Amino acid sequence: MVEFKNVSMSYDKEHDVLKDISFKLEPGSMHFLTGPSGAGKTSLLKLMYLAHRPTRGEIMMFGRDVAKAERQDLPKLRRRIGVVFQDFRLLDHMSAVDNVALPLRISGGTGAHINEHVEELLRWVGLQDKMSSTPSTLSGGEKQRVAIARAVIRRPDILLADEPTGNVDPEMAERLMYLFVELNKLGTTIIIATHDNSLVKKIGAPRLHLVGGKLLHIEGSKKDIADYITARKGLNE
Amino acid sequence: MSKSFDFLPAVKNREATKLLPWVMAIMVYLSALAAAGSLLLHSGFDDWASSLQGRVTVQVTGEDRDLILTQSLEIQQILRKTPGIRSVRILTDDEIFVLLEPWLGAGNITDDLPVPVMIDVETNEDMYVNLDALESKIRQISDNVYLDDHAKWLSHFYDLAYTVEYTAIGILVMILLASVAIVIFGTKSSLSEHKSIIEIMHLMGAHDQMIAKAYQIRFMYYGLKGGIIGVVLAFVTVLGLLNLVQNISGGLVEVPTLPYMKMSLLLILPLVFAFLAMLTARITVMRELGRMV
Repeated sequence: MVEFKNVSMSYDKEHDVLKDISFKLEPGSMHFLTGPSGAGKTSLLKLMYLAHRPTRGEIMMFGRDVAKAERQDLPKLRRRIGVVFQDFRLLDHMSAVDNVALPLRISGGTGAHINEHVEELLRWVGLQDKMSSTPSTLSGGEKQRVAIARAVIRRPDILLADEPTGNVDPEMAERLMYLFVELNKLGTTIIIATHDNSLVKKIGAPRLHLVGGKLLHIEGSKKDIADYITARKGLNE
Repeated sequence: MSKSFDFLPAVKNREATKLLPWVMAIMVYLSALAAAGSLLLHSGFDDWASSLQGRVTVQVTGEDRDLILTQSLEIQQILRKTPGIRSVRILTDDEIFVLLEPWLGAGNITDDLPVPVMIDVETNEDMYVNLDALESKIRQISDNVYLDDHAKWLSHFYDLAYTVEYTAIGILVMILLASVAIVIFGTKSSLSEHKSIIEIMHLMGAHDQMIAKAYQIRFMYYGLKGGIIGVVLAFVTVLGLLNLVQNISGGLVEVPTLPYMKMSLLLILPLVFAFLAMLTARITVMRELGRMV
């Protein structure tokens, strides 16, 4: 489903923020993307949600190298990917319902069934009283839930979430993680970038650990700290 | 093809595009005035030229009033026998005085003023009359006979008419180009204002065409709104100016009548500007989006 082959990326063509990244994620898998701030987690996600092109390497998604995909082919590929942005990126002039309905409208959906579906999802994330509210009137946690609802409304093949539980209370975080796990069970490949080690341990999904733009595979959660310290030492040397 | 929906926020007061309908109104107003002026002058020229075409004026001058009257009658006979001439009529003194009045003033035409005798000749449109030969023939009666087919005047007037028309077309083209430039600025400003929204739309799988459609509909509306305001103001201005000219002309200048059928063509100006704004916005958005990932 997702395979990176020796991928590097830079914003200024001089300094690589991602260096020679290679990994392969099986279809329907769930992974955490971890690492300290500035490690390149968001940049890696950007490559996966096709907001940026790598400077080197291949990114195989949906059976093709999306790094070399023609521009006109990108919308079709992007519609198969759901993204929860760290800064939510909701449209301020639209209500919660309209924000969540946006992916369906972009895909050409119309009519009452969109709203019905959207309202059901918003109820599920506990925003039944905020459907007509605009993002500026919502709290950080509420915005995050709207962002998550928007990312999953189209039942994407791949869901990418950048710190999706950063602004919600532990109970809601667990509820949202449950949503991700359920989506994963339905076959959606999920990659969640997070700082929350407790969450990683609780879910127990394998993780991709980034340090200084380099990827360290850490399967499971037991030897996380030891491997991380070793990796840091290696980088510092 | 992606379906369209308006994902753009309502225009805020601080946005530059808020002024765009008014700028378009001014552009359409100027275009409509240029076009209306051209149409009015064209119509006036046509009326004047058609009144002169197929007409020849024979002027018999001299100080002996009785003599020139006798000569005029002889000339009238010759003209009536000439093939291709439909009618011949000697103008009455009163008619000549009316013609002279704007130049000399009312009551200033005295009995001792050597007023010429004028003969109005109407020719058949489908028959050629050799005016040079005719002039030679009637000059045998008097050397003081002048035949004027108005060709020289008509040629000057046609030159003026064409110059006015080409100038009006030039002005229209310049206004259209300026309007295109304004729409490009407006579109780029709006794209910059809504950059984050467009990025989100892209990342959620929106095609460039879908984004462009939202812009082109919005700018088409600006063009249409501005166009309607501009055309209405232009009509009010033209009618007001014509009214003023009628009040001051006093018979010296013939005021052209408003060619309503032709003027109604100006009503398509809002549609033209709406289409132009729509097309320009679409091309601008597509080009700008093409630079994004």
